[in-house]
Amino acid sequence: MAKSLFNDDAVDMIRTKREAWRKEIYECRREMPKKFETLSGFAVKPLYTPEDLSSMDYLRDLGFPGVEPFIRGVQPTMYRGRTWTHRQLAGFGPPEETNKRYKFLLKQGATGINGVFDYPTLRGYDSDDPDAAADVGRGGVSIDSVKDMNILFDGIPIEEVSVSLVTCQPICNISVQSMYFANALDRGIPLDRLAGTSQNDFLMETAVTIAPGVLPPAASFKLSCDAIEFCSKFAPRWNPISFAGYNYREAGCTAPQEVAFVIANAIACSQEMIRRGLEFDSFAPRLSFFLSAHNDFFEEIAKYRAARRVYSKTIQKQFGSKDPRSRMFRFHVQTAGVALTAQQPLNNIARAAYHAMAAVLGGAQSVHVDAYDEALCVPTELSSLTALRTQQILQSETGVTSTVDPLGGSYFLESLTNAMEEEIDRILEAIDGMGGIVKAAEKGWIHEEISAAAYKYQWAVESGEMPIVGVNCHQIEDEKLPIELFSIPETLGIQRKKLRQLRKQRKDAEVEKTLDAVSRCCERNENLMELLIGAVKVFVTEGEISKAMKRVYGVWDPPLF
Amino acid sequence: MEKKIRILIARLGMDAHWRGSIVVAKALRDAGMEIIYGGNQNPDNIVRMALQEDVDIIGLSSLSGNHLELAPKVVKLLKKEKAGDIKVIFGGTVAPDDIPKLKKAGIVEVFGPGSSLKKIIESVTKIAGGSAN
Repeated sequence: MAKSLFNDDAVDMIRTKREAWRKEIYECRREMPKKFETLSGFAVKPLYTPEDLSSMDYLRDLGFPGVEPFIRGVQPTMYRGRTWTHRQLAGFGPPEETNKRYKFLLKQGATGINGVFDYPTLRGYDSDDPDAAADVGRGGVSIDSVKDMNILFDGIPIEEVSVSLVTCQPICNISVQSMYFANALDRGIPLDRLAGTSQNDFLMETAVTIAPGVLPPAASFKLSCDAIEFCSKFAPRWNPISFAGYNYREAGCTAPQEVAFVIANAIACSQEMIRRGLEFDSFAPRLSFFLSAHNDFFEEIAKYRAARRVYSKTIQKQFGSKDPRSRMFRFHVQTAGVALTAQQPLNNIARAAYHAMAAVLGGAQSVHVDAYDEALCVPTELSSLTALRTQQILQSETGVTSTVDPLGGSYFLESLTNAMEEEIDRILEAIDGMGGIVKAAEKGWIHEEISAAAYKYQWAVESGEMPIVGVNCHQIEDEKLPIELFSIPETLGIQRKKLRQLRKQRKDAEVEKTLDAVSRCCERNENLMELLIGAVKVFVTEGEISKAMKRVYGVWDPPLF
Repeated sequence: MEKKIRILIARLGMDAHWRGSIVVAKALRDAGMEIIYGGNQNPDNIVRMALQEDVDIIGLSSLSGNHLELAPKVVKLLKKEKAGDIKVIFGGTVAPDDIPKLKKAGIVEVFGPGSSLKKIIESVTKIAGGSAN
């Protein structure tokens, strides 16, 4: 039986007194002429009291950390037991250069690697493809073959450090993750020792970074599921997917959409795994999530907490899992890149610090803090270091790690968490009504929802309704840039040269046979990752693998606008 | 009735960010212009689409840093096709030092991060030499 936190008499008395306070005291003062609501549009009242939590049953709705509904945290001890992983994103230029940056960050106390790939790699193109030339080494590190992967992780103890591969699109992930695994095997490290995460989210390909000529949603989803299936059998410590809510949010969606889309995506993947004959509890504990930390401090904390409760409830209802770990919403947070400004860029240090604090008060498992120069360029060594130090200051100096879920029980935060949960549930129902997330992506609905929200946001900034320091208020006229910008080292020549040598040295017949096997594997609808881990050893390239897949799956021209 | 301004919005190369390009495209559409949204394209395709669609302006978008290589190519190709009257503008992540370089290469206007939609609409209207409606 539900037991509410406050008895009815007490709540009634509070209501009477609060009403009197409002009329006699509060309303004698003036409020600023603005709309009080969160970034995602939840109304915010001047004051929250036990009235707002009158129907809350502590044991049912909050409970304890490490147990259902996990709202207070997925681990019983949270940061008293272990700090969150300080996982700074890095990647640019050729793998030789990014390798140096990884080593630098590890030496400075980073506790995980977060590797991002350049645009051609993310979209499944080789560096020597004419369409790729201008983007090689941009936005991430360039990977064409397993040899590049050997270089990228050379001298890094991958059996000890957990590595996140920000492979975004499944077309990239299936090859790049296979290359990572092949590299480990080559170094004598069995796959079951590898800890890490790959992003591998089909919405990245079909709703978030969409471009003409991508894989059709169903094919992209299939590749994503191949990696999940493979890892559940052979790499049990690897999180084979990190549902990329962060990127949906960067593209423009709201906080509740961000969570609803990742959960709908996790449900679809789970249904597919079960269809493939896997036990739910054999893969579900390794499904992981990636969320943003945007400007609205309390909304973000409410979002993380609501995500945990919705997930645990929804999963229990849909799949009836036995293993509680299957119902844990574990997530990495990146501070919102879209919230950074090119104007007065050092202000971004303050922004990212608030974002990171929200992530930690919300119970994140791992965090990346954005560097102050990211609205202008790829981070310099100094800006990356400042970002890492921001995490270390948060952990060591602020005291926020001393107790679990320190804001739990706040009348405001719990109310906002409840409102967030309700809205997430509503969106989940809408997606379910469309036949699930793959169908919703095929219709272009997800992309439409994200772009509509982005447009609304921009007009709010434009009107000044949403103040952004340095952009629509507190500007500096003729500002002189106070920082040095990073320029990407020469990449295209290096990658092309390596590819020329590779194509000359490898055995053509072997390559052809392998690529043919890739196409046939697609035709037979078998698991590609099992094949690719062997295939990359004969030095087929990422671009060649993508072409072999597209020969079978074709390409999709998504609704763009 | 005055002819509507026709504008092709395209993302340069393989840049993965569409938010800016779509938000600007929607704003220009709501200001009464006709939008052809090309998504990611290489300079050859951008120019081909611009000619086919008979646009007044090409709006290029990129956050990847490929702008100095690809945006000037679009201007050059237009001239080669004797379509130098089609004006090219650019929006995206751009280092302040790159702005004069882009302008020198014939890009008539550059909008960096934080640019106002109203200013973009005004500027496009002026460049096209007419009113938006």
